[in-house]
Amino acid sequence: MNVIEINNLTKSYGKTRGIVNVNFNVEEGEIFGFIGPNGAGKSTTIRTLLALIRPTGGSAKIFGKDCIKYAPEIAKEIGYLPSEVFYYENMKVMDILRYSASFYKKDCSKRIQELTDVMELDVTKKVDDLSFGNKKKVGIVAALLHEPRLIILDEPTSGLDPLMQQKFFELLFEENKKGAAILFSSHILTEVQKMCSRVAIIKDGSIVKVENINTLRENNYKRFNIEVRSLPYKNYFNFGGIDNLRSEGNKISFLYRGDINLILRKLSEAQLSNIWIEEPSLDEIFMRYYERED
Amino acid sequence: MNLFKREVRAHLKSLVIWSVGMIFMVAGGMGKYAGYASSAKTLNEFIAQMPKMVQAIMGFSTFDLSKASGFYGVLYSFLAVMAAAHAAILGTEIISKEERDKTAEFLLVKPISRNAVVSSKILAGIFNITVLNGITLVASIYITGYLSNGENVTDDILLLMKGMFILQLLFMFSGTSVAALSKNPKGAVSISAMAVLVTFIVSKVTEIDSRLINLKYITPFKYYDAKDLMYHARLDSVFITLSIFIMGVMAGVTFTAYSKRDLKL
Repeated sequence: MNVIEINNLTKSYGKTRGIVNVNFNVEEGEIFGFIGPNGAGKSTTIRTLLALIRPTGGSAKIFGKDCIKYAPEIAKEIGYLPSEVFYYENMKVMDILRYSASFYKKDCSKRIQELTDVMELDVTKKVDDLSFGNKKKVGIVAALLHEPRLIILDEPTSGLDPLMQQKFFELLFEENKKGAAILFSSHILTEVQKMCSRVAIIKDGSIVKVENINTLRENNYKRFNIEVRSLPYKNYFNFGGIDNLRSEGNKISFLYRGDINLILRKLSEAQLSNIWIEEPSLDEIFMRYYERED
Repeated sequence: MNLFKREVRAHLKSLVIWSVGMIFMVAGGMGKYAGYASSAKTLNEFIAQMPKMVQAIMGFSTFDLSKASGFYGVLYSFLAVMAAAHAAILGTEIISKEERDKTAEFLLVKPISRNAVVSSKILAGIFNITVLNGITLVASIYITGYLSNGENVTDDILLLMKGMFILQLLFMFSGTSVAALSKNPKGAVSISAMAVLVTFIVSKVTEIDSRLINLKYITPFKYYDAKDLMYHARLDSVFITLSIFIMGVMAGVTFTAYSKRDLKL
């Protein structure tokens, strides 16, 4: 069964593009990644699903019900973490959480306790005094305190330190094991790869591809930037898996996809003065990945 | 109920400030009366010599300023414009602040319908204007009664405050509908404040020139004008009907526009 079913969902703001004919489904018990560069339409799609804005075309169903018409009913089972969290002035963390819980007509106090413990959140502090990361933690607790069946996360990791990210991911896996489906939006490929079983890739308001994460992983590019003292021979890096090769003086950069041991062996034979191995930007991935398909 | 409580709490500080302001206005205004009362005759003569336009703008026309009730009648038009401004700003802010403060993404994803959100907010708004009206009423009766030298002003004040309450409701609903319609949540308050100012000026204009008297239908300040209310000793049923009609339309606009609204996030 599908928890989310999106059919040709379109949202245009006058002249500016929002999203165009977005289609994808999120299945029961699935962690679904939603990935694309900033401004691609991730938030617009999510906000339409949550009935914060109304679609100009198409429709979406959550739990089999129209997401606009039955929004308040559906909302009982949704936990949402916006990309930027804002709260009311002059409220303590606990006040915010209690206020948030008061809409769900069930006792959430035990769950609040558990979640604030895990996230190491001081509930007696005023929200205004919290750092961005700590506000985000309040958002996480507020999104999970009513044990929702569907968790929607819009760029959830920004502002969280790596340790907290890890705890947060563990929390999500736990919720997922209990049966919650998760829609996880991000522009960071690695975190989506870590979490999700399937992903939808959105670019310029349209879904480019809905893909199994394993397929995407096989296309796991890394960007190499190196500074060389000397190379064993000319055109040393001309071999399979190297892409987008550029060299400028002693600086060489390329994208690599394939057996990581192979490239490391190759590199060890060269005389390097410096090296950076990075995740390629999403745009680079898109370019590499879709060039072949077009 | 949770949302209602939250709204009441959120507006508490501003309510206290407005209430203190109203008390000071009543006390300050009527305090002047205490000063003038001894020389009231000369004051009346002095005012009679002023140009009609100045009299109209200051609201001196036709009130007997030697009496506490007359003096209060002049003061009332300023109390009314204060209360109307409060109501208009309150009505606009209570709806638009979720978007202004970016808390819309917190509140509107909760299992609560847009209509329920608007209802709770309007109720909280009514609570606020009722309190402000009540405080003004008590302050007026107490202060004016103290200075009136035995003249019965309580009935006049009760009647005027009834009028002011409907005026407040009207401007609150105009504020909520502006907020629900407005594309820009930050600009909505200035539109509402402008509406108060313009209708107030129109109400003054009608007093300058009697040929403009029919303009009184477009400005609620004339619906509940102090001298008419005090002269007839009751609220005009035409204006009450008109007020209820306008409020109904504006409430309808608020609910429909807000339920279809694309939230600005």
